[in-house]
Amino acid sequence: MPEIIFINEQKTLFVAEGTTILNAARQLGIVLETPCNGIGTCGKCKIKIGSDYFLACQKSITENIVVITENKEQENRTLKIVSGGQSFSYQLKPFISKQFDGEKTVVYGGNAVLGTEPENTSELCYGVTVDIGTTTLVVAIIDLSSGKEIASESRLNPQSAYAQDVLSRIHFASNNEGLKLLQHVLIDALNEMIGAIADKVKISTKNIYEIVYSGNTAMLHLACGINPKPLGQYPYITQIHGGEHVTESTLNISPFGVIYLPPVISAFVGPDITSGILASQLYEQKETVLFIDIGTNGEMVLAKDGCLAATSTAAGPAFEGMNITCGMRAGNGAVERFRIADDGSIDVQVIGGIRATGICGSGLLDMTGELVRTRIIGKNGRFTSQKIIDHLQEKDGKKTFFVTDEVFLTQNDVRQIQLAKGAVRSGIESLLTKMNLMKNEVNRVEIAGSFGYHLNEKSLLNIGLLPVEFEGKVKFVGNTAQSGGTAFLLNKDFRTKMIQVASEIQKIELANNEDFEKLFVASLGF
Amino acid sequence: MTESAQQQQQQRIFERLSQAVVDMDETLAEKIATMIVHEGLDCTKAIETGLGEGMARVGKLYETGEYFIPDLLVCADALQKASDILKTGLYQYPLSKGRVVIGTIYGDTHDLGKNIVTLFMTSAGYEVLDLGKDVPARLFVDEAVKWNADIIAISTLMTTTMKNIKDVIDLLVTEKKREQFWVMLGGKPISYNFAAKIGADGYAQNAVQAVKFLDNTISKLRRY
Repeated sequence: MPEIIFINEQKTLFVAEGTTILNAARQLGIVLETPCNGIGTCGKCKIKIGSDYFLACQKSITENIVVITENKEQENRTLKIVSGGQSFSYQLKPFISKQFDGEKTVVYGGNAVLGTEPENTSELCYGVTVDIGTTTLVVAIIDLSSGKEIASESRLNPQSAYAQDVLSRIHFASNNEGLKLLQHVLIDALNEMIGAIADKVKISTKNIYEIVYSGNTAMLHLACGINPKPLGQYPYITQIHGGEHVTESTLNISPFGVIYLPPVISAFVGPDITSGILASQLYEQKETVLFIDIGTNGEMVLAKDGCLAATSTAAGPAFEGMNITCGMRAGNGAVERFRIADDGSIDVQVIGGIRATGICGSGLLDMTGELVRTRIIGKNGRFTSQKIIDHLQEKDGKKTFFVTDEVFLTQNDVRQIQLAKGAVRSGIESLLTKMNLMKNEVNRVEIAGSFGYHLNEKSLLNIGLLPVEFEGKVKFVGNTAQSGGTAFLLNKDFRTKMIQVASEIQKIELANNEDFEKLFVASLGF
Repeated sequence: MTESAQQQQQQRIFERLSQAVVDMDETLAEKIATMIVHEGLDCTKAIETGLGEGMARVGKLYETGEYFIPDLLVCADALQKASDILKTGLYQYPLSKGRVVIGTIYGDTHDLGKNIVTLFMTSAGYEVLDLGKDVPARLFVDEAVKWNADIIAISTLMTTTMKNIKDVIDLLVTEKKREQFWVMLGGKPISYNFAAKIGADGYAQNAVQAVKFLDNTISKLRRY
């Protein structure tokens, strides 16, 4: 059997001849980007053997080899993940409370006794919020006595090593073995993160008594060890409903610590959105507010006078820089801002201030937005044939916009962005129609999500992800899955309230909307 | 006019028809098709070379990203209109190059891609029975048998429903009907390898490739 060595990870494996490098990496838990799910089309799983590059999903192992991958540790360090989000003021009334009775400290969960600790530990009372996204994990420790966040950390979701997008992950976890594996790597990562930040602020993880899980519905199935298979098939049914504590004993917190799962709205509108609704107080708004979490799935909620409707659209991974030739996550070297000046010169801002190596989501939207504004890209999404500018050149017979010699945007990349923005835009239109609202009746648009924070309104309007009627109404609210999760942790009254809100939300399944196809096609243009 | 001059003129007209399709000019395509019928030109050839050529060029433009989904739909409209007119000029009506039963596999509700494929197949002269979306394996087999189809075309957009397609093939095998039909697959997560692995006969990356696959397959079947 040939041996494969991953030199950067210092991991080795003997494999059957013909095994792909990707499969070997997956067996070792090494993350290689595979947005096309290993069919050899996206080019993101590029690895190096000697001085040659190969696609890990296409390259079979026939002899002993040494493989060089990109270093993910580095990426975790430089990645821009927003951990904080908009919040509101509320009373401090946590579910967990502690009381010293002169001899020992009793820990209460609501009115019930969860356990006791020797001596007076009543000052040491912590909770944790966890946002489990498909791509990223954000963990924060909250002091339940003061309500303050004392530390937080984020990193890439290690489950990506096995299956990158939501559907592939549901597929992977459809059998018990896959499910256990994905749950295991997630719990390991959460324990590591909680341990690391607790260490940093010098608290004991034994004094953490409650964890609030935010995140999308699919990820929470995996976190809870529940088979997500029904999520991946029409009629897309969730197996968990939240609004309760879940049993999970492998997190390294207090031995009588508990995990709270906020109400799940539907298969594709999860507790991260419930947390967002709470953080944005959507059910209390007198104005008409549209709340959108822009990520791989564009989940959105439209609120008018306390009436809420929610839906989710499959935007795909383009906004995360995936499925794009030079796309990358928002780490060092990524083009994150882009502008075309009146004289036609371009102004590029790169994360880390170094030479550009790729384009991240915000950079992509900026670029597309500017190219549309300056008509280098037409309404139909095609690069212009008339305008001759230096940056627009032919590459392999196709028009390509070059930022630098190595970083460029192809015609097919623009098509991917059109698909992603078309999905979100048609979702918006569907919600408005459902609630009988005109575009100009929307008073405010709140864009949530760690990705959304780096965007700018003009780009979103330029590419038509948002209609022009929303100009001047857009507000970026950050990671509300996190801030809403904190509100759940700090005030137990929200739990009953949100169960009611979640059950009353109109859930709109776009697949059942006969006109959706037409609407989607109409939303593809700029 | 000599025969070859006549043929040259006919060829030029077919080229104009093909260009009208590529230019997404529905009105012009209709006009040329009507003229072809009136002049008594070879309508079968008009469909095969005129529309076929136009379709192939549209396919190339789509593959390079030059054309996109809305463009495909407009081209498909022009194709369909011209094709309908040309069919009236055929000696044998309706023309059928073959019969296709098509649908999105059960568990999946995405059917935009499948609908575009259907439009292209119809314009190319195939009879297509569209079973819609979320189609049970049983229905694919039953309808294909009932309708005496040549080809079963199955689509999916989701990784999670890819494996459902195998049920159709398994059913065909168990019921000893596998030899009666060619099974072709399409959809974003599908690859040639996947199609081969589950025992399908072919895979097409887009609508134009799908028609190409049909043309190649049908010529092998020699039924028409």
